[in-house]
Amino acid sequence: MEFDWGFLGTGNYAQKLATGVLTTLELFGTAWVGGFIIALLIVALRAVPFKPLGMLMRLFVEYHRNVPTVVQIMVWYFGMPQLLPDDLRMWINRGQSEFLFATVALSLNVSAYFSEDIRSGLRAIPHTQVEAGRSIGLSAVSVMRYVTVPQALRISVPPLLNRSLILFKDTSLAMVIGVTELTYQVKAIENLTFRSFEVFAISTLIYLACSLLIMGLGAWFGKRFPPAFKV
Amino acid sequence: MQKRNWKSCTAVLLASSLGLLASAHADKLATIKEKNRLVCGTQNASVPYAYQNATSRTFVGYDVDMCEALAKGLNVELEHKPLSTEARIPELKMGRVDVVAGAMAYLPERAQQVDFSLQYLQGNIKVLVKENAGIKSLADLAGKRVCASKGSSSAAIAERVLKDSRIMTFQDVASCNLGLQSDKVEGFTAGELVLKRFENDSRQSANPSIVLAEPTYVERIGLVVDKGNPELLAAINEVLRKMDASGELDRIYTKWMGKDSIYKLNRTFKVEPVNAS
Repeated sequence: MEFDWGFLGTGNYAQKLATGVLTTLELFGTAWVGGFIIALLIVALRAVPFKPLGMLMRLFVEYHRNVPTVVQIMVWYFGMPQLLPDDLRMWINRGQSEFLFATVALSLNVSAYFSEDIRSGLRAIPHTQVEAGRSIGLSAVSVMRYVTVPQALRISVPPLLNRSLILFKDTSLAMVIGVTELTYQVKAIENLTFRSFEVFAISTLIYLACSLLIMGLGAWFGKRFPPAFKV
Repeated sequence: MQKRNWKSCTAVLLASSLGLLASAHADKLATIKEKNRLVCGTQNASVPYAYQNATSRTFVGYDVDMCEALAKGLNVELEHKPLSTEARIPELKMGRVDVVAGAMAYLPERAQQVDFSLQYLQGNIKVLVKENAGIKSLADLAGKRVCASKGSSSAAIAERVLKDSRIMTFQDVASCNLGLQSDKVEGFTAGELVLKRFENDSRQSANPSIVLAEPTYVERIGLVVDKGNPELLAAINEVLRKMDASGELDRIYTKWMGKDSIYKLNRTFKVEPVNAS
């Protein structure tokens, strides 16, 4: 099989790829940050001793873990605007709403997994630490804030990294609602040039390089902030 | 040296992931005749080109009929293979299909990768307007708002051809039609077949829509074979010419796009090289 990369120099294909990579990274970055914040919120709310709230959080997590991610994205993009009045819907459909809805869907999706990862980290902290914290006069929230959660986060680095890699690859699902991320652009270029093998090889390499970078960042973080004790 | 390594590395990576074996081959026509079988690919969910009939669960459509006529013309058995959009070119390049009838329009860049037969169909990009809006030609759309679905080729063409119109991109064709019906836009551009369906639907309403005759772009569509099969290509072109002369192409067109279909189009294209104009 002969690869010919010359076509990248012609037309605006290189530029298309570049915007694709940028959109993919933006989508990953915003969804990761959004998902992490929501995950911390879920962990905190689940710790509240109020049964209905805990059930609600469990429902949230189970929905996002058990419904295909691509369906969740489509529900946000096609379903949610239907609940809005006609004029507002037309206005949304006219704008670049697909990036926004994709970010929301991916954030919520990954937050469910992140919260479970952090929760498993929390379970690794001996309960005696909570008791000790309470006995020196810290409130329940302060115990989480200063004692358990910081340790749990360090313990959760490997599963969080694992999930981050999956999130990075899941950004390609946003293609179904027309977000012009990397896979979307690759398919568009393939359709225009019919150079299937070349363009899919390029996207493979780009995804691989970015994933390795994310793994590197995770490894660095794990070394810089090691767990307080071996689990 | 380093560059070479990288190149072979990607080749190995792809080859292993696709289970791909590159092999030099002689002209496909000999193999087709020898095996007495033509593997003809089409799309798998594209009305009216190639799609599953809801009741019989078999694949039908313009391109499926083309495959059948092609096999008959070459005097061999047909093996029809429905393909996804991403798979059609790799399948052709790897030799799993001999020819693709995929309503694929000629583009010079595409022609560097595959060979196009004579034109067997044309696709028009057109504009739908309200019948009472007084818009008769593309020129009348100057200063008007024209809708296209996001990221479609119709949108890219409209930007180029309808320079004096305001092109608005909506999420999909249904949103565009809604925009036209609620007077948010004055025109709606898309493929002719899509527009015809909306035109038909609007017939019952008080304020019907109509498709402008003048196209913004004409797609010249050919059958596609892999490079290096001049004999197969010549044989296919011969079959197409015969089908044109015998009226079989007319028959297939009438069935799927002409008066026997919901589109009621008249055939205007000729069987000629795709890059003729």
